[in-house]
Amino acid sequence: MNVSRANRLQLALVLSVLVLLHFYVRPRLWSARVSPDFLLMALVFFSMRAGPGAGAVAGFVVGVVTDALTPARFGAGALAHTVVGYLVAWARAVFFADNLAVYAGFVAAALWLRDLVLLVASGTYHSPLLAEVTLYSPLQALTTALFALLILAAFREWFAIRLDL
Amino acid sequence: MSSASERSYTRRDTVMFLVCLGVSLIALFSPAHLGLAVSEALRGTVLAPLVWLQARAEEGRTGRARLHAITVQRDSTSYVAQGLPSLIAENERLRQLLSLSRRLNTPYVAAEVLHQAQATDGRTLLLDVGTRNGVAEFDPVVAPEGLIGVVLNASERSSVVMSWAHPEFRVSAFTVTGNASGVVAPSLLTTGDGALEFRGVPYRDSVPPGTLVLSSGLGGVYPKGIPVGTVTGIVREQTGWERVYRLRPAANPGSAAHVLVLVTPPDVDLARAFPSDSALEAMRLDSIARVRRADSLADAERLARAARAESLAAVRRDTTVARPARRPAATAETARPAAPTPRPAPPPAQPQPPATPSPAGGDSVR
Repeated sequence: MNVSRANRLQLALVLSVLVLLHFYVRPRLWSARVSPDFLLMALVFFSMRAGPGAGAVAGFVVGVVTDALTPARFGAGALAHTVVGYLVAWARAVFFADNLAVYAGFVAAALWLRDLVLLVASGTYHSPLLAEVTLYSPLQALTTALFALLILAAFREWFAIRLDL
Repeated sequence: MSSASERSYTRRDTVMFLVCLGVSLIALFSPAHLGLAVSEALRGTVLAPLVWLQARAEEGRTGRARLHAITVQRDSTSYVAQGLPSLIAENERLRQLLSLSRRLNTPYVAAEVLHQAQATDGRTLLLDVGTRNGVAEFDPVVAPEGLIGVVLNASERSSVVMSWAHPEFRVSAFTVTGNASGVVAPSLLTTGDGALEFRGVPYRDSVPPGTLVLSSGLGGVYPKGIPVGTVTGIVREQTGWERVYRLRPAANPGSAAHVLVLVTPPDVDLARAFPSDSALEAMRLDSIARVRRADSLADAERLARAARAESLAAVRRDTTVARPARRPAATAETARPAAPTPRPAPPPAQPQPPATPSPAGGDSVR
């Protein structure tokens, strides 16, 4: 088994674990609005590894999944996750900092941006938008970033991340 | 300077991004029913295992809470059963008075809410019940506190609920006092206490703060009598034309873990299932009247029983004081007292016709 194939398998395993966490563990945690979004975490990890194009496609797929489960307005989730998948991969190429703090920051920023695009695209304005992007989204970004730190620390060998925080 | 291969790679990425973006925008601006159909198809096929997984997780989470509640209920019940039986009787009587047994005697389907980690989670809820459980589109969804929304789309094993927070939500409503009616819609300006608006109320109808607003049953979707919210103030008014009131929602879809999908025909009145303060007051007064009626009947029965006992005692005295050797049967029949009607006893000193107690007369005396 060559190295790239092993890396792909490792990434697939981590993503599978994250999907399992999202649909089986997250509902057992506290309020859904601030509980970590493992699906977005998986998207960010994949995008940072795979590049902007694949990140956009993965974001589109994740967005369609979220649209099917929460069809506030079909297409809004796909749009938001596509933008996030592309931008995360692009930003990773620009910053190029392989450490836990930057990765966790990417996750938090991606979630906040996702929520902003999602809310605007689904027609949320005024006070609800303000409450979401200033209160709930930062809280969820924080919890997601914390769990992202744990995941990255657990699988740091597979992600080849330095531990210099 | 980037190499040709890198430029090709970048161009391919950009093309993929633009394609995904274009498809997303097409989906975003496509008709809503198409999006719902695609969502339903996805939930019924590739996402079915994930929905099943999440439903099991929700069951596991709420199962612990339910077990705790059942344990507490069992402990308190055993405590009451051990030492305070009078409280049981009183509790039962109060329950009967409040007509709690009539609450939600209409068919419904209990459902778990599968909350998603999305900013728009409160607008549409995913339930773990679908058409196989009897859920259909446009079935009202309620929480114990009041109206949550309506089923927007139902697949075999799951369904999507449009909550009152959705911008397209509307419900015809009236005040619990019945003096004003209008349409309740989500407010786009505020959250929390003023998340709903009671629109179209005629200017002449004034609704004081604190008034409960119920669904009116008009429109053919929501049954009559489901609490929608409580008036907290006036949002705006057009002099001489209409007033728009601010409502505090009765139920919070964002925190609802369990809901009931009413599979009832919408022409059913559910006002008794959600007793408001005034409805409780009316039921209390009605219960008091019923108790008074029952008490008066009991008093009348007690008086009749006393009068009967008194008349029987008088008859006994008569037969003891003036026991004749023989008595004509016809006279004995006339001496037999009418059972429930009080009859004045004759004075014992007066001479009585001879009366020999026959077996029939003894049964009546007995």
